[in-house]
Amino acid sequence: MTEQQDSMQMLWQNQPVEGIQISAETIEKRAARFEGRIRWRNVREYVASLIAAALLGYFTVISHDVLSRVVFGLFIASLAWVVVQLHRRGSSKSMPTGLDTRSSLRWYRAELERQRAAVLSVWSWYLIPMAPGFVVDTVGKAIQSPHPATWARLLLMDAFGAAAFLLVWKINVRAARCLGRMIDELKTAE
Amino acid sequence: MIPAEAGSQNELYQAAAKVYGAALERLARAYEADADLRRDLLQEIHVALWRSFSVFDGRCSLRTWVYRVAHNAGASHVLRQRRTHQHELVGLEQLENLPDENSGEQTAGRRHALDRLLSLIQRLNPIDRHVILSYLEGLDAAAISEITGLSAANVATKTHRIKNMLARQFQQGGSGRD
Repeated sequence: MTEQQDSMQMLWQNQPVEGIQISAETIEKRAARFEGRIRWRNVREYVASLIAAALLGYFTVISHDVLSRVVFGLFIASLAWVVVQLHRRGSSKSMPTGLDTRSSLRWYRAELERQRAAVLSVWSWYLIPMAPGFVVDTVGKAIQSPHPATWARLLLMDAFGAAAFLLVWKINVRAARCLGRMIDELKTAE
Repeated sequence: MIPAEAGSQNELYQAAAKVYGAALERLARAYEADADLRRDLLQEIHVALWRSFSVFDGRCSLRTWVYRVAHNAGASHVLRQRRTHQHELVGLEQLENLPDENSGEQTAGRRHALDRLLSLIQRLNPIDRHVILSYLEGLDAAAISEITGLSAANVATKTHRIKNMLARQFQQGGSGRD
């Protein structure tokens, strides 16, 4: 068997390699691209929120009635809360350098578990905080304009909103299941 | 060998690339079957290595460091791919139970044997893959233990299994001797 083992090691070590040389320029370029990707990933999370907050802020300023201002104010507050939670729970981290295999797999598993916890609890930090804006908007407009036609329109709009919330929640549950499968595989590998 | 004293990031990287360049190419081959993606992965490994030398403190040997960083880059690549490609990764014990494709016939030659070896390795989960690659690179149990973080006893058990599995899968003289 020893001859067999040695031959396998020989086969592996003597396999033809291309002798690829990677220039310092390529390495520096790729390293810069990597850093840029990390920076962009962090910035991207906030840019969309800032645009949405700016739009909501604009609507708050140009609104003439108190109800609209309160509703837009609530949405801005919800958005700020979501951005903080997104940063706290969902932002990606880089693995510490030079970890041994076992530690790196544990780190990776812990990251996946953190991401799974974030997507599983999306209703508590993303969906529910958005609800007050919708509720105040619906109740306020129903009181302001107590007509069955208005109520029906409001109900229809809320139904669309609820369907969108349900879709977001379903997508996150599916993502959590996918993450769960990867976590289980890593547990087995450890 | 690479000098143990701490050099600059570039010096350390260049020395490591010179000594371990071929091993890194073999390692990339074990983590990615597609030639274009493999070239990309190899660059990624070199970048990870170059970046890592900015924090290398000499607490482990350079060889251990190089293999750790390279394996982690390879494993990250595999785990990233897993998000889009749902092929199942298995452990050594599952590979041990695979039917012996080779029984009753001679392996065509070195190329075929190498392809079979690679396809076996590419099915393994990250930790078993690290162990088998380190074994094939000729590292001893202590070095494998340092790279993987597994206990020496665990490495010995896994190495024993690897030897048995390879012996069974490549019996009938199909290990690469033409």
